[in-house]
Amino acid sequence: MGFYLNTKGNLKEDANGRQPDENYAREVMQLFTIGLYELNADGTNRLDANSNPIETYGQSDITNLARVFTGYDWDYFANGGGFTDVAWHDYDVPSTHFATNQMWFDPNKHSTLEVNFLGTNIPANTPGRDALRIALDRLFNHPNTGPFFARQMIQRLVTSNPSPAYVGRVAAVFANNGSGVRGDLKAVWTAILMDDEARAAPSAANSMSGKLREPVVRWVQMWRTVGIRSANGRYEIYDTSPAHEALGQSPLRSPSVFNFFRPGYVPPNTEIATAGKLAPEFQILNETTTAGYINYIQYTARDHYSDVKPTYTQLLPVAHDGEAVLNWLNLRMTANQLSNDTLNVLRAVITAFAITAASTENQKLDMLATATFLVMISPEYLVQK
Amino acid sequence: MSGPDKWTRRLVLQRAMQLSAMGVATPLAINLAAMGEAAAFDNTDYKALVCVFLYGGNDYANTVVPYDPANYALYHQIRAGGPGEEQAGIALARAALAPTALTPLAPQTLTDNLQYALHPNLAGLRGLWDQGKLAVQLNVGPLIRPTTLQEYHHTNKVLYPLPPKLFSHNDQQSIWQSNSSEGSTIGWGGRLGDIALANDSNNPNSLLTCISATGNAVFVAGQDALQYQISSGSATVPGGAIRIGALDTPLRDAVNALITRDSAHVLENEYSSVTRRSIQMEGVVNSALGGVNVTTAFPNGNPLASQLKIVARLIAARGALNMRRQVFFVSLGGFDNHNLLMQDHPNLMTRVNAAMSAFYAATVELGIANQVTTFTASDFGRTLASNADGSDHGWGAHQFVMGGAVNGGRFYGTAPHVSIQTDDQVGQGRLLPSTAVDEFAATLARWFGCSTSELPGILPNVGNFSNTSLGFV
Repeated sequence: MGFYLNTKGNLKEDANGRQPDENYAREVMQLFTIGLYELNADGTNRLDANSNPIETYGQSDITNLARVFTGYDWDYFANGGGFTDVAWHDYDVPSTHFATNQMWFDPNKHSTLEVNFLGTNIPANTPGRDALRIALDRLFNHPNTGPFFARQMIQRLVTSNPSPAYVGRVAAVFANNGSGVRGDLKAVWTAILMDDEARAAPSAANSMSGKLREPVVRWVQMWRTVGIRSANGRYEIYDTSPAHEALGQSPLRSPSVFNFFRPGYVPPNTEIATAGKLAPEFQILNETTTAGYINYIQYTARDHYSDVKPTYTQLLPVAHDGEAVLNWLNLRMTANQLSNDTLNVLRAVITAFAITAASTENQKLDMLATATFLVMISPEYLVQK
Repeated sequence: MSGPDKWTRRLVLQRAMQLSAMGVATPLAINLAAMGEAAAFDNTDYKALVCVFLYGGNDYANTVVPYDPANYALYHQIRAGGPGEEQAGIALARAALAPTALTPLAPQTLTDNLQYALHPNLAGLRGLWDQGKLAVQLNVGPLIRPTTLQEYHHTNKVLYPLPPKLFSHNDQQSIWQSNSSEGSTIGWGGRLGDIALANDSNNPNSLLTCISATGNAVFVAGQDALQYQISSGSATVPGGAIRIGALDTPLRDAVNALITRDSAHVLENEYSSVTRRSIQMEGVVNSALGGVNVTTAFPNGNPLASQLKIVARLIAARGALNMRRQVFFVSLGGFDNHNLLMQDHPNLMTRVNAAMSAFYAATVELGIANQVTTFTASDFGRTLASNADGSDHGWGAHQFVMGGAVNGGRFYGTAPHVSIQTDDQVGQGRLLPSTAVDEFAATLARWFGCSTSELPGILPNVGNFSNTSLGFV
C-alpha cells in the first residue's frame, strides 16, 4: 500500500513550495475508511437542513493529513534483508524483504507542521509514529467507518443492495463485538454471513436479490470445485485481463486503486437503473466480456494454456452416472439453484455423451468439462442469490 | 427494456412536444412531417464525435507548458526546478520545448503574454496545430455556474454551488462525462446519441450509435441510446465472437438456450440481454468491417492507438452499417502521476501523440476528416506545485480538440497565471476552471447537429453559462 499510493518516498514540504504527496491521505479516507459523505449508523447518507448530503472532508483535511504520511520508505535491511551483487546488473539487487518489512521511518523527511484534519489536532513536532497513530485512530473511530466498511463488505460477499437495517446490524457489530471491542473483523464477517438477509432462500418476490459473481471469483470457484493440478508446481496462470479472450479481470491487476468496479455503479439502460438499484460487478460486463468469458470457460474447463489443468478427481468415478454429476455440480456451484429448465438442458447434453463406466478417461473428462462449462455460463449460476 | 420501439416512440413524442412548445398547434401527423426542420439536425451527412479520456487526471502543466522566458521561469520555480532552465523537479527543460512551441496561426495575446509549448513528445499534435487542425482549450473543468475564488470559498453553497466531490477520481470522471457523480446513468455523449437516434429511427444498426472501445463508460450511455462495447484486442474479431458456432449440436443449442434465456430475476435477465446483444451485433459488425481497408499505420503496443484504430475502421464501415451519427469513447490510463511524473508522463504523451496523429491521418485517408471531431478529457487537472516527484489532484485543465472541422492553431478560453497565489487557482495551482465542461460540450454538441433548444436536455446546467459556442469547431 505504501508503494501503491505513494507513501513510500513521501517527503515533507520545503521552502521551494514542494508539498507532501496527497495520494494516500485522500484515498485512505475516500476508499478505505470513511468515504465522501457523512453516514448514519445504517449506512444511509446524513442530510443537512437543505436535505443535501454532507461531505466528510475538504481539501484542507487532505493537505493536512498528507503531512502525517511523510518520511516513510522501503526498509531493505530489517529481518535479515540486504543487497546482493549480481552479474547481470551494474547495481546491487535487494532481497525481497523490503516488500514485507514495515516501511522505515526517517524523521528528517517527516513534516513537523501542525496537522488539523476532521476536527482533530496533531500538534507541531509530534513524533512521526505518534502522529500516525493519532491519525489512524481518528479514522478508525470515525462514525462512518463501521457502516462504510460493512456496506461494501456485504456488497462483496452477499448482495449488491443490502437493506439499511442489514448494514446497521453489521455496523453495530463493527462498533462493538459484544465484548466492547470495536473493529473485530471476525465478528463482522460472521454477522454478515449469518444475517437473515444473507441466509434467506431466494424469493420470487425479490427479483433483484444477490449479486453478479465477479469473473475471477467464478473461475477460481470452478477450479477449486473440480480440482486442478500444476504439472510443474508453479501454477502458471498469467494475466487474465484481456476482455475479448480471457476474464476481463485479473488478480492484483486492477486498473487503479478504485478496483475493477465501484460499489456505487448503476448499469445504464437497465431495469436495475430504473429501480434505482446498484450492480457493481456489471461495470465490467459488456458485449465483449460476456463473449470472452464464455470462450475462456469453455477452454479452461477442459484444458489450459499453461501447465494448470482441471482434474475432476471427485467426479471421474461417478462420470457414468449423469444424474449424480448433475446433482454434484448443482449443489457445489449454485447451492441447488439451477431451474428445472436448465437442468433439463444439461441432462440432454450429458446423456448425449453416453458415458459408461468403460468409457475412456478423456471421454469422461470431455463430458465433465462440458457439463461444468454449461453451469458456468448459465445466468442462474452467474448471479449469486 | 430499451428496445427500438420504445425509444422511437418516446423521442417522437419529445420532438412533438418541442414543436408544440414553439407554438405549432397542428395535428401530430403534420408535426411528424415537419420534424426535420424543428430539429435542425441534418442527418444526411455523417458526423462522429470521439472522446479520448485520459484516466487518472492528466498533468496539465507538463502537457501545455509555459514557454516564454518569464512564465517559463515561474513554472520552473513552482515545479521545484529551482533557477535555470534545465529539467529538474517536475519541470521540463526549456530547450526541449523549442520544437513543440505553439505559434498561433493568427496573433493572440494571452494572460501575462503567455506563450506555450506542447510536451516535447507531442510533436505530431504540434504539426496538426500548424495545419490548423488542432486547437487548445485552456482551463476547462466541471462547474455548476461561473465561479470566482471568493465564491469557491463562500460558505453558502446553495447560492454558490460547486460540483460535488471535487478532486475525487471516480466522481470527477463521471461528472466530466455525465454532469453527475458516481452512479450516474446518462452521459452527454449518450444524450447526443439519443438525438441522433430520434432522427434516424429506422436504422437497424442503431445499437452502433454510441460505442466504447474501452471499458464501460457513462459518457456513451443515453436515456435511450445503449452503449455498445467493441473490443480492440483483435484485428479480426472486434466483438469477441462467441465461438458457439464451432460447437456440435446438441451442445450449440444448449449453450444458446442457456445464455440467451429470459429470466424473472432482473440481474440474470440483464446479463442475458448483454449476451444477446453481443451475439446479435458481432456478425453485423464483422461483416461490415470485412469490407474495410484502412492503410494508415497505427502504432503497436499502444492501447489508445488500438482503440482508435477500431474506431477508424468502424467509421470506414459507416456506409455498410448505414450510420449517420456516432459517438465514440476511447481511453488511456495511467495519468495519476503522484509519483515518477518525469518518468511516466512522457511515455503517456508519446502514446497520446502517436495514437491521435494516426487517427487523424486515418480520417484524412478515408476522406472524412471534416466530419470527425476528437477531443480529450480527463478526471481533472493536477497541481502546478510539486510533491517532490509528481503532482496531486486538481480541477481545471487544458484539453485538445482535433479534426478537419476544428478552427485550430489557436487557443480558446482564458490562460491561467503561472502561479500558486492568483485567484484563478484554489491552492497549489489547482486551476479554478474559467470555462465549464458544459460550454465545451455544448460547442461540440452544436457541431454534431444539436439546436440551442436541445442543449439543456443534454447539459442540464448549460443555461447558467453565457457561451455555448466557444468557436473551436
